[in-house]
Amino acid sequence: MEQRFLKSVLGVYVAAFVIFLYGPFIVLTILSFQQGPDGGPQFPIIEWSTYWYQQLFGLTPPSRIAPLPFGDALIRSLILSMMTMVVSTVLGVMSAQAFRRKFKGSSVVFYLIVLGMMVPGVLTGLGTSLLANNVIGIERHWYTTAFATHVSYTFPFAFLVMLAILNRFDASVEEAAWSLGVDPWTTFRKITFPLIFPGVLSAMLFAFTLSLDEFPRTLFASGRDQTLPLAIYGTFSVEIHPNIFAFGVLTTLFSFALLSVYGILMGLSVRRARRQAMQEDIA
Amino acid sequence: MTYDLQLSHIGKVYDNGTPAVIDFNLDVNKGEFIAFLGPSGCGKTTTLRMIAGFESITSGDLLIRGKRVNDLPPERRPTSMIFQNYALFPHMTVRQNVTFGLEVKGTAPAEAKRKVDRILDKLGLMEVAEIRPTRLSGGQRQRIALARSLVVEPDILLLDEPLGALDANLRKSIQNELKLLQRDLGITFVFVTHAQSEALALSDRIVVMNAGRVEQISPPRELYTRPQSIFVARFIGANTLISGQVRQASEGMARLDSAFGTLEVQPSHGIPEIGAAASIVLPAEAIQVLPATTPESALRADYGSNVIACTINRLQLVGHILQIGLTLPNGEPVSLEGHADKYRDTLTAGGAAFVAWKPQDATLISH
Repeated sequence: MEQRFLKSVLGVYVAAFVIFLYGPFIVLTILSFQQGPDGGPQFPIIEWSTYWYQQLFGLTPPSRIAPLPFGDALIRSLILSMMTMVVSTVLGVMSAQAFRRKFKGSSVVFYLIVLGMMVPGVLTGLGTSLLANNVIGIERHWYTTAFATHVSYTFPFAFLVMLAILNRFDASVEEAAWSLGVDPWTTFRKITFPLIFPGVLSAMLFAFTLSLDEFPRTLFASGRDQTLPLAIYGTFSVEIHPNIFAFGVLTTLFSFALLSVYGILMGLSVRRARRQAMQEDIA
Repeated sequence: MTYDLQLSHIGKVYDNGTPAVIDFNLDVNKGEFIAFLGPSGCGKTTTLRMIAGFESITSGDLLIRGKRVNDLPPERRPTSMIFQNYALFPHMTVRQNVTFGLEVKGTAPAEAKRKVDRILDKLGLMEVAEIRPTRLSGGQRQRIALARSLVVEPDILLLDEPLGALDANLRKSIQNELKLLQRDLGITFVFVTHAQSEALALSDRIVVMNAGRVEQISPPRELYTRPQSIFVARFIGANTLISGQVRQASEGMARLDSAFGTLEVQPSHGIPEIGAAASIVLPAEAIQVLPATTPESALRADYGSNVIACTINRLQLVGHILQIGLTLPNGEPVSLEGHADKYRDTLTAGGAAFVAWKPQDATLISH
């Protein structure tokens, strides 16, 4: 009796959780199919249509509602995220590798790195732009100052992921390679890196997604040309039309696609690892 | 004559100041099979890792074929190591594992293939060459590790408890294979183990270590019959130790005052000092158990004064082996084994008996 009660309470809790998590997205998805160009961003749905999706790609006749000015911002954001992903992951792998040996001041360095994800983003952004403008005297751009804040933010995540991966890494395979006469760099390339690659993939995913929708750090640091989150925010201040919802749905689908690719790659390596573990048990 | 491997006053102190290895001296001839034996934490693996180049050397000189290698990184030393967990490359097939070392060295592909084929064939791995090692049994993985290390033709092969992860039966057969392989190749093996049966069965000489120090370096037989320290006497074989004081000593014979009267022994490492504290080490094999009815004159004639009355408290027949548990007058328990036929009719559990031994079968260790 009591258990059944507990179960139903937990059931309601989970349902509420799911609604809060996915509710907004579901509402946006529904509204993105509103009739256009006269339908607004509210219920009821006058008539179902894919007008706003067509409008995004410029397939509709011109109307009083201007197409979203996202094209350049999207490309900028993708390039910025890629750059951030590469740099943060490389730094993350290298620094986590350094932490495999205890060195003097390693705990101080650890907290200095992790600080990057703890400091309030707006402050980092503001500080970076002040530094650029008033101290160094350079112009702010998305690919310079904003890029720096993105790296300082995502590098700790990549670092922590790699630290966890290398913590479980059996170093004797590296020693085995050295003892065969293989130099440390070749050992890293041919032995260590292939074995930690699933972890590198996770670090890349973290860095990319965190950078793609970064807002507070970018707000002050990006200068004249905006990134995608800033451009979206900019359209809110005028008037909201369902085209922004359609855009949201498409970017979410893109994220899901990215996650699926990651999931498939991980699934393959996990399945291989499990098969190996099973074989080891039998052996 | 140059040695294959020389350790001269080798010492290792960890960063926190703990000494791990203290003044290790050893000269190894080419083709010798050396075992480092000792309880865990005695410094045997640390010493092996210093030879391989994985651990830095704090003091002393390490020479391989006469050349000082203290400061060479592991990849530039002519050594190769076998790990307890084999440390195979899980993302490569057996053939790729074995070829890797040659490939990186820049051996011509045709020659590399020939060498790899030869070693795979020698170790019976041809059939599994194209699969990944994680899918194979412990014994096969052990052989892959051997093939991978041997194909690069090291001067010295280092083995860190290579049989530790195998079950008892497999261990025996791999042990034999290892010994044959070593004889066949004629290269020097340095083998770390905590199992004395492995060390005794495989090696030409055994280095017994305790708490970072070398206790004794001897061929197996000598280590077994002539231990040089109390630690070795307790660690190797099944010895009974009787402590006392040296009363009389000369070349070939010493007398010791003990709780069981005056005992005689043939000192094997020099003449002990009169009045010094010492222990007689009695290997289980040297001890004779004689029925209480044996006439004293017969005992004296064969064993001199080395006769002690004892109580039998346990007799257990295991096949044709009789396990005997007895107690000396001071309460010290002694366990030994004998052929059942020899004892069956003369000993009874709970009854009295004599233990006796010949002076030359025991060893004297000064404290």
